[in-house]
Amino acid sequence: MKRWIGFLIVAALAGAGGYYGTLHAAPAFLMNKALDRITIGSPWNHFTHAPQVNARAQSVVRPSPDLLYSICPFDLSAGPLEVTAEPIPGRYSSISVFDSQTNVAFVRNDEQMAGRPMRVVLALAGQTVPASVQVVRLAAPRGVALQRVLLADPAEAATVDPLRRRATCRTVGR
Amino acid sequence: MRKWIGWVIAITLGLIGGAALAVSQMRHRGLGDDISVGPWTTARDIGSITTDARTRAVVALRGLLALPTSEARYFTASADSSGRALSGKCSYTLAGGIIEARWWSVTLYDKGGWLIVNRWNKHSVGSAAFAPEQQGDWRVAISPDEQLGAWIPTAGDADFELTMRTYRPHGTLASNPARVTLPTITRGECRP
Repeated sequence: MKRWIGFLIVAALAGAGGYYGTLHAAPAFLMNKALDRITIGSPWNHFTHAPQVNARAQSVVRPSPDLLYSICPFDLSAGPLEVTAEPIPGRYSSISVFDSQTNVAFVRNDEQMAGRPMRVVLALAGQTVPASVQVVRLAAPRGVALQRVLLADPAEAATVDPLRRRATCRTVGR
Repeated sequence: MRKWIGWVIAITLGLIGGAALAVSQMRHRGLGDDISVGPWTTARDIGSITTDARTRAVVALRGLLALPTSEARYFTASADSSGRALSGKCSYTLAGGIIEARWWSVTLYDKGGWLIVNRWNKHSVGSAAFAPEQQGDWRVAISPDEQLGAWIPTAGDADFELTMRTYRPHGTLASNPARVTLPTITRGECRP
């Protein structure tokens, strides 16, 4: 009887470990899986300006059909990454950066850009970065930069597309 | 030797059970469920290192690349206002009023969070579908059958869920989302 109680206590402790271990490991694991899917069609360290979301081609869960997405999967191993974008007049747009743990490391929307282009450099600790530019330091090299642009009407896509393509994502010094 | 095997079995079963419970919770918890407003749920916080482990895991599985709550608040519903699961066989009316956000949209997904293929290629209705004078009192039909006006097809018999995105929330939606009024979801007729 005493031994069975011991087994139950150990199983319960292992269960708690399995539960919290899974929850803590899930974000990085799922981000890696998503990066594997995204980089099938999108090169590292460049924006890919995806067409409007289509139910037959979804690379990231819960996409919004009301947004145009441009995605830049990045790897800072080769050096810091510069992300630039311009606000697109008359509509919501934003640039967001997600680290390998799915945390939002940076977000800037069109209102905050106040009509001016934005520029940010993503870097690992110790990497040399250009002077006089906003720098976001990340703990791990991989992640995703994402541009969202609202389409009030799908017919606007043709007008908006050239404007969103002004966003850049490139390794600094290359 | 036999005693040693017993401990290994206990640890293995514990680990598997704990992991299975975590995965089950991740699969069935909208985009966080700290806050409930009628049939809608949302997370108190998303996308930051201070977000609790369960919400971070749920969002990674069911809403990867979701924005933080200062930028967007995501509400999910998998049941109507009477608590019945949303079914692709049934018609529903979403009835809402002013949403304190720069823009909002309601999108229909399968239970895994993926858009469902339909011949109309329609998956959502946003605030832009309504004139300014309609923003205080609007309706969206959700139905397997084509409808006039603002409509989202259910596209199939399976259960589904709705996500309401509210971008650049302000007022009570930003400061105390548990106190806002969100659209009601009323079930109409169902196919056999």
